[in-house]
Amino acid sequence: MTLLIGATTVGLILALLSLGVYLSFRVFSFPDITADGSFTLGAAVSAILIVQGHSPWIATMAGFFAGMLAGMVTGVLSSKFQINGLLSGILVMTALYSVNLHVMGKSNLPMANQATLASEAERLAGVLFGLQGDLHVIGWSVGLRDAAVLVGVFALIAVCGLTLYFFFRTNLGTAMRAAGNNPQMIRALGVNVDALLILGLALSNGLIALSGSLLAQYEGFADVQMGVGMVVWGLASVIIGEALVGSSRLGLLITGAVMGSLLFRLLVAIALRWGLDPNDLKIVTASFVFIALVAPSILRKLKPTPVEKIA
Amino acid sequence: MLEISDIRKTFHPGTPNEVRALQGVSLDLKAESFAIIIGTNGSGKSTLLNAVAGSFITDTGRIHLAGHDITRWPEHKRASLVGRVFQNPFMGTAPDMSIEENLALAARRGLPRGLGWALPRTLRRELRDRVSDLQMGLENRLDNAIGSLSGGQRQALTLLMASWLKPDLLLLDEHTAALDPKSADKVIQLTQEIVERDKLTTLIVTHSMTQAVNLGDRILMMHKGRLLHDIAGSERQRITAGDLLERFEEAGRREVDSEAKD
Repeated sequence: MTLLIGATTVGLILALLSLGVYLSFRVFSFPDITADGSFTLGAAVSAILIVQGHSPWIATMAGFFAGMLAGMVTGVLSSKFQINGLLSGILVMTALYSVNLHVMGKSNLPMANQATLASEAERLAGVLFGLQGDLHVIGWSVGLRDAAVLVGVFALIAVCGLTLYFFFRTNLGTAMRAAGNNPQMIRALGVNVDALLILGLALSNGLIALSGSLLAQYEGFADVQMGVGMVVWGLASVIIGEALVGSSRLGLLITGAVMGSLLFRLLVAIALRWGLDPNDLKIVTASFVFIALVAPSILRKLKPTPVEKIA
Repeated sequence: MLEISDIRKTFHPGTPNEVRALQGVSLDLKAESFAIIIGTNGSGKSTLLNAVAGSFITDTGRIHLAGHDITRWPEHKRASLVGRVFQNPFMGTAPDMSIEENLALAARRGLPRGLGWALPRTLRRELRDRVSDLQMGLENRLDNAIGSLSGGQRQALTLLMASWLKPDLLLLDEHTAALDPKSADKVIQLTQEIVERDKLTTLIVTHSMTQAVNLGDRILMMHKGRLLHDIAGSERQRITAGDLLERFEEAGRREVDSEAKD
């Protein structure tokens, strides 16, 4: 049970990552590697502020804004300086490695006894519902902290997902989707495509940094390596989500990204439990994305083409 | 309305691929006039349209539109004055978005885009009315992805989008060239209706001599980056497709002569 709750919580936290990757990769078709750096940046900024005694709420917001800043830099490099999108992301990600070390002051920063959003969730559960000690849910004993964190994270993801959904239906959000879908068309309708790309990447990396910040607070430490491979992880979640919902409707795609992240994390938890070497996790994830990317075209080739009947 | 004075544009200057696309074009287009641009391939017709729309900034010369000097305005800023339909039906719409979303984007051409709903109920109703005016049966498919439509349907919608907020200038770049004859006729008929109803100042590029003699009130013939003929008034009334073809041949002959002299 603890394993299940843990995997679900982490899956939900990483759903913010997959929403961010969805925004850059699917809305803008922009392979944004900045994520590997901005995920850690969110964790690092939040961790150092928490260690210095600031409120975890402020620390979390600061992590989000730091990620937005990183995304803006990538957007500016790509649009204003016309650097290839992939390279823009690589440049910012590489630079962020040093930034993250400077922010944390060392490569691993534990938040041993400080108040984090995880401990805040536990405290709120106690204050609001008068809960204490372990909970008993249909015969299972669940730690109050685990349950409170899970509910809190779920609420946060719901808010983020809904906000994103409604944003995409505003004038600005619709223009942003069009800028990714057909920049020529939306430019002819008076939209500054560069500005929207910068804003889009800022939002994307803000969400990714928020994901990093929450994961660090959940696990109790920030590590300079924690962002490695996160783009591919997010991509895997987005792809699973698309397969799950099998639709191009906006609301379903956003729900799909969240569900994909959950499912992928659960699958990984089960695989690890069955004895998958944690060192192999990245190659397994990468192979999964590779297969998911090539499978549709291979399946199409394998399918026998209908032979036209000659009358 | 539109004043172009001596604009020039050379692409890839100083390289073997150098193209002097516009070599000093001047044009004065009055409000509510409907001018047709014809010319051979590579004569600079589309380049002239793109120069006005702001796809690139010209090397020299000035462009004024509706009282503004737009010479150095970026494309997205000019879009507040200019409505545009492209040759390729895929270029004018966002294929993965729905018909109504595409139209809603056009309904705010050149206006600020904030956090208001893109599709409020009043706009939806207006969308439905104006789409059903097209008589293409699209009003019941407004939430379908626009990419699922045929080229003709897309061009008709793009035309509706470009003219949704009456533009000061409507630019049509061979917008029927990629369509089958029946759809092309339909789109041309629609173009005439919209331009006449809204009294739009229009510049259209075409390859079709029939369109050239049947549409508009002025014919501009381009050749090698220059305006060769400007046919208006009574001359425009009398001219036939055959006359236009003759002038093309004449332009070609003159070119051969001048090359022989070199």
